Amino acid sequence: MVRLEQVSRIYQNGQSVVKALDGVSLSVSGGEFLSIAGPSGSGKTTMLNLIGCLDTFDEGELYINGRPIGGMTNKERTAFRRNNLGFIFQSYNLIPVLTAFENVSFPLQLLKMDEQRVKETTLRILAEVGLAGLEHRRPAELSGGQQQRVAIARALVKEPKIVLADEPTANLDSKTGEEILALMQTMNEQRGTTFIFSTHDAMVMEHARRLVMLHDGTVVSDERRGS
Amino acid sequence: MFLLRLAAKNLCRYTRRTIITAVAIAVGIAMYLAVDSMLLGAAAESERNLRWYETASLRIHTATWWQERLFFPLGGAIEEPEAILALLHDEGYHAVKRTRFGAELLLGYEEFGEDGYIPVLITAIDTNDDTVYRYGTALEEGRFFQPGEMDGIVLGSWLAEDIGATIGSSLTVSTRGKGGFFEAFDVQVVGLVNCPNPNVNRTLVMMDLAAADQYLGMEGAVTNIDILVPERQDIEAVQRALASKIGAIDPSVVLLTWKDLAQDYLAIASSKQGGSALILFLIFIIAAVGISNTMLMAMYERGTEIAMMRAMGMEENRLQASFLVEAGLIGALGSVIGIALGVLANLYLVEVGIDLSFMLRDLDMGFRIPSVMHGAWSLSSFVIAAIGGTALSMLSAIIPVRRALKSPITTALVRL
Repeated sequence: MVRLEQVSRIYQNGQSVVKALDGVSLSVSGGEFLSIAGPSGSGKTTMLNLIGCLDTFDEGELYINGRPIGGMTNKERTAFRRNNLGFIFQSYNLIPVLTAFENVSFPLQLLKMDEQRVKETTLRILAEVGLAGLEHRRPAELSGGQQQRVAIARALVKEPKIVLADEPTANLDSKTGEEILALMQTMNEQRGTTFIFSTHDAMVMEHARRLVMLHDGTVVSDERRGS
Repeated sequence: MFLLRLAAKNLCRYTRRTIITAVAIAVGIAMYLAVDSMLLGAAAESERNLRWYETASLRIHTATWWQERLFFPLGGAIEEPEAILALLHDEGYHAVKRTRFGAELLLGYEEFGEDGYIPVLITAIDTNDDTVYRYGTALEEGRFFQPGEMDGIVLGSWLAEDIGATIGSSLTVSTRGKGGFFEAFDVQVVGLVNCPNPNVNRTLVMMDLAAADQYLGMEGAVTNIDILVPERQDIEAVQRALASKIGAIDPSVVLLTWKDLAQDYLAIASSKQGGSALILFLIFIIAAVGISNTMLMAMYERGTEIAMMRAMGMEENRLQASFLVEAGLIGALGSVIGIALGVLANLYLVEVGIDLSFMLRDLDMGFRIPSVMHGAWSLSSFVIAAIGGTALSMLSAIIPVRRALKSPITTALVRL
């Protein structure tokens, strides 16, 4: 599903050169619930950005669903993200002027789906994440946990094969964080969606069925566990 | 539809900023409409007053006179005006004979307290003049001279005031006759004219045509024949229709429209229209800076949101379109308010007008308007303002939006 082959990402700032990722190879299969962990500056976010086709790499190759990403134009990457990837952001990044319903339906609007299908699909996913009845509330009228549920619903509404999440529980208290992780796990199991998320929270790492540890841009361990 | 809804909701997000920007655009548009209305009103009134008090609709001169018009050459007069007048009468047009000649008005010490003279252009008119011009209702004081009255003159009221002349004042006219001989004759002011054309009030000296014919030795010749074309008729079309017929009677003459005769006024009016365009440009620049600044702030504040939408696969052109729609809605809102204000301002300008009597008396602005300057309605100006306000708002947003879209998604998101 996702394959990184000797991928390097180099940042140059004046004279200083930083290798955020240094020849990383990794293979992720469909339906995995994978956590990328490591200290600050280890390359977690860079790796997620690359898999999310939000950034370009300098060396190696990245394949998603068998498609090489390296040669894609900016426009092709945009279309690829729209059709194949879901994103969950640490700060939720919901559009404040839109209701929960409108925020969740946003990716479907981008796919130019007809209004009736948009409505049905959106209401169904909102019910699945436990937000039935809150469709018309704006983000400011929802709690942090509810906002992250909206974000999860938004990531899943178009039924992508892969959902990427950067520190999805970092802004939540531990109880709500547990609930969000449980929800992500349920979605992973019920829908078979691959979840790749970064964290440095030990509690979050415990939930992962596969834990990839990064340090200074290289993979230092890759551990598979039973759930 | 979704983009429009999103744009409309974003407008409500920063209500105060949206209103301030829209009001700035509205004030600009209202100002443009008011200035445009006044210039249009002044132009329309000037053109009417030119035709009613100075040039008539069409005028016949000999080609020689027209070529040397700066010297008012009596030698280039129309020798057989009656035949042309008869033709014009048969064609159904009112026409009058006139003779215009340069002269000096000599002011005597006893009458005016000092000796002196002023150069003037004297217009000698015949008794039918009111069929083409409208001086009949413009007499402020005194009377018009009688046909054949040798020493009666009528002055523009401001000219009389400037030289200190009143009804009954005696002056001497010094000029040269048709053959170039010097001629001087005494006249008495019998009437004062105050009409809506300030240029006439400032310069008019009129006398009887028969008297002028005798003093100048014209022997029936006149310098021009002035023709009234009814309002509904196309003056240029009438000119084309009459030119060949008149030419058949007297090949030496040319038929000129009021536009040919008032080129100085048209040049001023044209430069004022250029000024109007400049005002429009400046107003729109101010509006553009306002809207550009608003959109720039919106981009800055919503940088993460924009990056999120791009991350989710929103195409850059759709994202750009949503912000342009947002800017366009601010412009449309500003245009609606601006047009409402413009309508109110125009109502006042058309119905009441602005009293410029304090400055028109001493300042020649070129316009032939009375002391109160009225506006005029122009549908096209309202359409231009509405479309311009909206389109310009959208155009002004392009640069900030493009700038925001150039920034890498990862930088704007900071973290995924």
